[in-house]
Order: sequence, then structure tokens, then C-alpha cells
Amino acid sequence: MATVPVGTALPTASPHPDRALDTRPSVRRRRWSRRRAANAVYWGACAAALAGVAAPVVWVLAGVVNSGLRDWHWSVLTTQTVGTGGGLLNAIAGTLVIVVGVAVIVGIVGIAGGIYLAEFCPEGRGGLLRGGSEILSGAPSIVLGYVGYVTLVVRFHWGFSLAAALAVLSVMVVPYVVKATEVSLRSVPTAYRDGSEALGMPSGYALRRVVLRPALPGIVTGLIVAMAIAVGETAPLLYTAGWSNNLPTAHLFHAPIAYLTYPVWTFYNQPYASAHRLAAVAALLLVVLALLMIVVSRIIVAVTQRHSETSSAPH
Amino acid sequence: MTDAVGTHTGTETALRQAEAGPAAGPPREVAFTPAFSCRGVGVGFGAKTVLEGVDLDIAPGTVTALVGPTGCGKTTFLRTLNRLNDRVPGFRRSGTISLVGEDLYDRHMDPLVVRRRVGMLFQRPNPFPLSIHENVIAGVKAHRLAPRSELRSITERSLREVGLWEAVADRLGSSPFRLSGGQQQLLCLARALAVRPDVLLLDEPTSSLDPVSTEAVEDLLRSLVPGLTIVIVTHNLAQARRLADRTVFFHGGRMVETGETAELFENPQQEETRNYVSGRFG
Repeated sequence: MATVPVGTALPTASPHPDRALDTRPSVRRRRWSRRRAANAVYWGACAAALAGVAAPVVWVLAGVVNSGLRDWHWSVLTTQTVGTGGGLLNAIAGTLVIVVGVAVIVGIVGIAGGIYLAEFCPEGRGGLLRGGSEILSGAPSIVLGYVGYVTLVVRFHWGFSLAAALAVLSVMVVPYVVKATEVSLRSVPTAYRDGSEALGMPSGYALRRVVLRPALPGIVTGLIVAMAIAVGETAPLLYTAGWSNNLPTAHLFHAPIAYLTYPVWTFYNQPYASAHRLAAVAALLLVVLALLMIVVSRIIVAVTQRHSETSSAPH
Repeated sequence: MTDAVGTHTGTETALRQAEAGPAAGPPREVAFTPAFSCRGVGVGFGAKTVLEGVDLDIAPGTVTALVGPTGCGKTTFLRTLNRLNDRVPGFRRSGTISLVGEDLYDRHMDPLVVRRRVGMLFQRPNPFPLSIHENVIAGVKAHRLAPRSELRSITERSLREVGLWEAVADRLGSSPFRLSGGQQQLLCLARALAVRPDVLLLDEPTSSLDPVSTEAVEDLLRSLVPGLTIVIVTHNLAQARRLADRTVFFHGGRMVETGETAELFENPQQEETRNYVSGRFG
């Protein structure tokens, strides 16, 4: 290629056969304005997409908060349901018991399952477990509820009970936790595993001390999603937990238990204003509960990740 | 300085001999139990053979450099010396390797103990996502080598050994990922030294560092000998010349030649070695 002497203007008249190398000012200006236009179009599309996601959230939240606050009365937190009126203390307590129960069961089974799949499972066997887990997570919740009703409540004579509710809800959400745990563990850099192995750490110890920590945000997020689903689930509970105007008892079997989604669904279908008010307040409480769980999970993540690679910008 | 971590009498004796050694008489690797003694070592993964027929003695208290073109098996060989290949699928090994006279792959030999005695530093610094203090004592805690009350002083001693103490003394509780790459590698070295290994394996430890950090690491490594036996894999022939007492040249899964570093570079016996050290391939 011929060299152009320093200081010589580049030839502007001859269009280069390769269009990308065509440097005439008119061409460059046209290209620049086209790029700006494309940029504006993509930014517009992004903004529209964001609005499409955010608008329904804002709408639902505003609706729930608005109607919930309108009918809000502090006594809903302290009194139990009477007929279709009264308070929601029994339902709040019941939901908390159910969520904590699910978190414990799913936390143990799901995280252990995820660790097994990611760390210890031989290649062939993993496929079966993963497939089963995926089928489970695809099953409609009302089907699981019905199966729980037919087997646990009726066949095993558990009755409407906490045990039946926990069993069905746990089966329903465990795949989320297994998946979240496995995926987060697999994304932990191999350098951590190499380093801990080269130091002579036993594999279980290395897992607890080094490998699990960077995977924790993903695992906690999975667990919180599972708990949020458990809080918001209605169909399986209608089939297994029943409903009770009383506070939860220590009985696992033959003791129906109240939960917050019941008034939202059932009371709203009643022809009484008091029932509608209770439904709106229950919906508000569900939203607040979900928000609280998100906040707690963020705090857990922030505390455990304070030494992580990504949260520490180089100085 | 008190040794809080415990000792290995075999190596200690060998080291004392080594310190008294060279002036007194015959070449060291003949007179002492080698840190590593390899006989007919072959390594493969599944159907692929990576190394075969390696016969090599590594004298205690020396620096040995493993050089050779990419894919020649030197890193695999290094990882065989602390049994880090054990869990790699399809790993197979033949021949014998002994660590200070004991069969490294004996079924009574605990791989975790082997890795405590044979530390390792990797190509890229890999501090754990723990605080700087927790990083240094990670191995000490894993092996329960010291009571809780001594952990602070072990951290200080180890960080002083690698010359990092002044820089991090006021932020032992903070994240190691705020340190520069060179400092992170020094931290990993402190972590490896904290468990008082007999041998340190280094897999291109300076290839991701800048020249100044590289010099700091090299100076440090030199100062650790003869208290420690060092085996270093390097692509950098100048580094091998600067650091190593002996150099081993690998090519195509075989050990081609070994000798005193100066001898190997100035007067290689094999055609392949001559071509490699003169930069004709590699």
C-alpha cells in the first residue's frame, strides 16, 4: 500500500471500494447521524421495556396498598377472625408458621440437594435428579394440592393440617432451591477450589469455609423466592391446610391452620363489606411480608459478601 | 522465633545437613534424602498420556525450575507432586514418587497431610473471599495447627515473612481483593507459608504480575531457601536462570535433560534442550 506523506490531506474525492474506509466528510456526517438515530431508537425501546415491567408492579402495589390502607385497622393485628369479620391474627400467625416451616424443610433438603448435584454427584445420576426436579417445578400447584389432599389429608388420615400443608408446599418449592444452589455453586471460580485443595483442606471443610460463601447470595435468593411462593400460594393450602379462626397449635396433624391468602381469595367472594375489607387488608399484609423477606435477604447477602471479589473495587 | 506449627524431623535433619553441606564434600543430591525422588513416573488422563519415564531427584533446600514448551507436561508433573491430580477424572499414574523417603502415593499417606507439607502457589493470585487475616490462617485452621490465641501472631509472622505486614497491618479485617495483583500473590504465599510446608510448588507464580512485583516475589523466594525446597514451573527462561539451582527441561511429556542451571543453559547436552534454551522453539 502506498504511504501518504505526513501533512497531506487524505484524498476526499475517490470513494474507497470498502465502504467502512470511505472517509469523505459528507459520508462521515451521514454515518454519525444514522448512528445517533439508531442509538435514540434503542434507548427508547429500553425505556418502553422498563415501563412495561414497572407499570404493572406500580399499579398492583398502588391498588393493594390503597385499598388495604383504606380499610386498615390496627386491631387486625391483634384479634382473630370471627366469621367473615374481626381481625387476622390467626392468619398472620399461621402464614408465619407455614413459611418458617417451609424455609426449614426446603432449606435443608433443597440446599443439600443442590450441593450434592454440584459437588458430589457422578455425571450420569445427576440427569435423573435434575429431570425429576424440573418436572416437579412444572407441575401446576393446584394439582399438587389435590394430590396432597387425596393422599395425605384423606388416605393417610392427616386431616387438614400443618403437616399436610408443609409437605405439599415444600415439594412444590424445593426445585427452586435445588436449582439455585447448584447453579450458584457451579459458578464459584475454580481458583477457590484449587486453592483450598492445595492447602490440604478436607473437601467438606473447604465447601463450608471457602466455596459456599461466594455461592450464598444465589442460594439465599433461591430460598427467598421459595418462601415468597409459599407465602403467596393459595390452591395447595385450600386443599391441605383448611382454615381456622383460631391461632395455630402445636399439633402437626388434624388441626386446620389459617393463612393470609385464604381471606384474599375466599372472603373476597363473600357478599359482605366486612369480608371485602379483611381481604384487602390481608393482601396488604402479604405485600408487606414479601417486601420484608426481600430486605432481609439483601442484608444477609451484603453481610456475607463484604470480602467478595465483586464487592471490593480495586483501590 | 518459636515454631508454633510443629516440625518434620526428617526434613529438618536433611535441612541441617544441607546447610552444613556443600563445602563439606560430595554433591548434595547424593548425600541427602531428596525432598522428592521420582522413578519412572508416568501420568495420564483417560486415554491420553501426558508424561512418561520421569526420573528425577530434587534436593532439599534448593530451587528447581521446570521449563519447557506449553503442553510438555511440566504443570501436570508439578500437580502430581502434591497429589492435586487425584480428583481429576481419569487420572492415572505409574512409577514411584517419594517425599523425603516416604512413598507419596502409598495408600496410608493422607493426601491432606501431603498438601500441608507440600504447599502450592498458582499462576493467578487466588485469595479466598475472606478477610486478609482469615486468608493467612485458612490452612492453619483447617489443619488445627495452632490454638486460637496464636492465630494473630501467625498472621503477623507470615505476613512479615513475605514483606506484606507493613502494607496491610491496619486492614487485616478487610477484603484481600482491594490489594494489587502482586500483593495478592504475596498474600497467597503467606497463606502457603503459614502452615510451615517443607516444599513449595510454584506454577508460573509471576506470569500475571508486573516486573516490579515479579522482582519482589523472586527476591522473596530466594530468601526462603534453604529453609524450604522450591519447585517452580516457569515459561520465563531468564527467571529460571535467576532463581534456580537446578533446571529440568521437559518436552513432549518426557524429561529431556536436567542439570545445574548454569550448566544446562551454557552447555546443554541434548539437541532439543539446546534449541529450546537458545530460543529456537518454545
